[in-house]
Amino acid sequence: MAAEQQNRIRVTEYLDLDIEKEKWHCNRCGKELGAARENYKRCLLIHDRDPREIHPPLVSGEYNFSPDPLWVRIVEFYCPGCGVQMETEYLPPGHPLTWDIEIDLDSLKKRLQSGEYKIRKQRLEVSE
Amino acid sequence: MPIPTLAEKLAWLKPSPPTPHEIECAAKLAQGDYEIGAQITNDILDEAMEIFVRSSRSYFGVSGDSMVAIFTANGDLINASCGTYLHAIIQPIVIKFIQKYYAENPGIHDGDIWYTNDALYGGIHNPDQVALIPVFHEGRLIAWATAALHTTETGAVEPGGMPVSAKSRFEEGLNMPPIKIGENFKIRNDFLEMYSVYGLRAPAMFISDLRARCTTADRVRVRILELVKKRGEDFVIGLMRKMLDTAEAGAREKVKHLPDGKFRSVVFNDAIGWTPALVRACFLTLTKKDGRLVFNFEGTSPENPSSYNVHTQAVVGHIANFMYEYFFHDLPICSSTFAPIDFEFPEGIILNPDKLAATSCCVYIGMQARCATHNAFAKMTFSSASLWQQVAASPGSQHTAQICAGVSQWKLAISDVLSFSLNTQGQGGRAATDGMDSYGFAWCAFGRAPDSEQVESELPLSVMLSQHWRDSCGHGIHRGGSGAVQQWMVHKVPDIVSLCMGNGSKVPLGQPMFGGYASSPIPGISVKKTDLLKQMKEGNPELTMDHREIMEKATVHGDWTYELIARTPKVYQEGDLLFGFSGGGPGYGDPLERDPEFVMEDLKKCLISDWTATEIYKIAYDHERRKVDIEKTNQQRAAERKSRLARGKSYGEFEKEWNKKSPPKEALIYYGTWPDAKSTGPVFRP
Repeated sequence: MAAEQQNRIRVTEYLDLDIEKEKWHCNRCGKELGAARENYKRCLLIHDRDPREIHPPLVSGEYNFSPDPLWVRIVEFYCPGCGVQMETEYLPPGHPLTWDIEIDLDSLKKRLQSGEYKIRKQRLEVSE
Repeated sequence: MPIPTLAEKLAWLKPSPPTPHEIECAAKLAQGDYEIGAQITNDILDEAMEIFVRSSRSYFGVSGDSMVAIFTANGDLINASCGTYLHAIIQPIVIKFIQKYYAENPGIHDGDIWYTNDALYGGIHNPDQVALIPVFHEGRLIAWATAALHTTETGAVEPGGMPVSAKSRFEEGLNMPPIKIGENFKIRNDFLEMYSVYGLRAPAMFISDLRARCTTADRVRVRILELVKKRGEDFVIGLMRKMLDTAEAGAREKVKHLPDGKFRSVVFNDAIGWTPALVRACFLTLTKKDGRLVFNFEGTSPENPSSYNVHTQAVVGHIANFMYEYFFHDLPICSSTFAPIDFEFPEGIILNPDKLAATSCCVYIGMQARCATHNAFAKMTFSSASLWQQVAASPGSQHTAQICAGVSQWKLAISDVLSFSLNTQGQGGRAATDGMDSYGFAWCAFGRAPDSEQVESELPLSVMLSQHWRDSCGHGIHRGGSGAVQQWMVHKVPDIVSLCMGNGSKVPLGQPMFGGYASSPIPGISVKKTDLLKQMKEGNPELTMDHREIMEKATVHGDWTYELIARTPKVYQEGDLLFGFSGGGPGYGDPLERDPEFVMEDLKKCLISDWTATEIYKIAYDHERRKVDIEKTNQQRAAERKSRLARGKSYGEFEKEWNKKSPPKEALIYYGTWPDAKSTGPVFRP
């Protein structure tokens, strides 16, 4: 494993956390995204998707197997480096985006330093 | 009135501290006693569950939407057979209530049969009824045995036990706080008479289910006493204590693997009763700190004057369904697994309504708390080497809960829910693989769907088709499991009354995971005055029983109606058709990363359409031979990634436009203030 990845853990399928540098990274292209004490979504590209483009109507009329685009939108979050779709949220239009991951970095560092946790294959393991 | 307070309920969820006698008994267990003893409790419970399923009459009972459980003398759950985990963690509330308030008057005695179905006192909602039997040995209370089951009738303002139009608990029919219904091992006749009038719409089912609960709980009692006779009372008491201690240690060990932090998820619901209405059904902040997990629901929409509210412990019940299917999947179903978990419910939210609130349709909102838990847990768990493979998107939760009432072809009064017949929602996409197709009923993963023939033999319906619902799954690297579709035709009777509960016609329920897409919404569909029987009699060679073709090409003629899934009671005549759907699971990960060969497999299995393979997964392939053109697929996918980079906006730029938007005002009548979902005033109930 490359030295720069030894302090890196996977937080989602696409989001890595460099614990030492306190930075978010894209898991696919490795791009440094931004400060890990901030909402990682602030570092991504965002698109307001009409849900009918993903769930097309199968019949005519108001109830047609497709979401009502006035009630809900698909908010797509892309890595600005490689364009992978890192996250999606189905939200009513205008609803605040969710700050979904707020890892306590100080606690994590402390547990790693104390040997309570170790990193193996980019994941946290509790030491026996 | 000693209606349990929120503080009491939350305290009673926790295991009671061990007594000196319990500690002494546990210390006396010899090597191997625990393992053998725990397995004996499994055997007792599995036998009882078999009895339960075989002696129940309602289709939820036949499907195993039930739980049989053993508790300590103090009311702490030590093991259960499921069925559904909904009841697992919360029944201690009922036992501890009985012990606190009724120990003196009317007293708790050998031979008692206790009963309740009131969510205010610790249940899920009033169709879920539980029989509780104390287990005495030589005059000492040593344990409790319970049997819980959903019966699809309560004598409410509508048939089916989950009145959609109920605006307060007074319109829900039978809501019975814990009460002693039998003494000396016999159900009292005066109680039976009082009880039976609430089941007049379907008396055979109503009374049979009551007896099934009591019989089942009593079988557990008998088997526990046999174990006492064989191994001694101290062995059983010590075993139960050790089971509590071992389960708690297991839960704490798992929690240790999670990083500290805050993890949030927000989910929405699109109908309140029969009214299309948007609510923030669950705003969950899950905090992990120093070996504890705290679920906080601040930001959830306010309560409303319908039956789509959830009492707090029923929220916990829905979360228990997630915990035991995934996070605690290898731990016993035991009160102490929740020892490191706390809950914070603000007053007046849809997940903590007033005592007068109707909650009979609570499962549609409670399920959203489970969906939010999936997402918050995923983000907390993915970094763990030992737990990441348990990450999964929520199950599909939209479904057609069609109620069928009237007189059957056997001239029997009926009132039942057809959701058991589907029992086939898709599992959410998982970190390591796809969600299972038609994995089960999202509220009762281990229930079984009765055969269509059984449905047809007992209800005046024919199941015309039963298939995977094409394109119902959420897309992703690991797609959600497919949902299912059935078509029910009124048959062998002139007519029935039918109504429908449910949600998910305008907004996909649950959230997808890590860049996947959610599953499709479902409308309510009926066809009156159809020519289906005529076409079948005439042997029309053009007629295929493919659900998409029937809908999209309207190959069955008649008066088609597409409407909100929740529908008011209507009369349907012989030959009329109703469509029932169970939702697919949301997807996991970016669909552009799905292996093209897996997409071809999905096409072969008729789980997705060519449109989806081409437009969502961006696969280039020969449609006849289903052979993938890898090079062209890679080009198409690269082009789509490039398009994303071009159309994506920075956070600030996005928010500038996004924050100006809002849903239409008519969608927000029950939402609360926009967008933070604060209460806009008191709720008035009849």
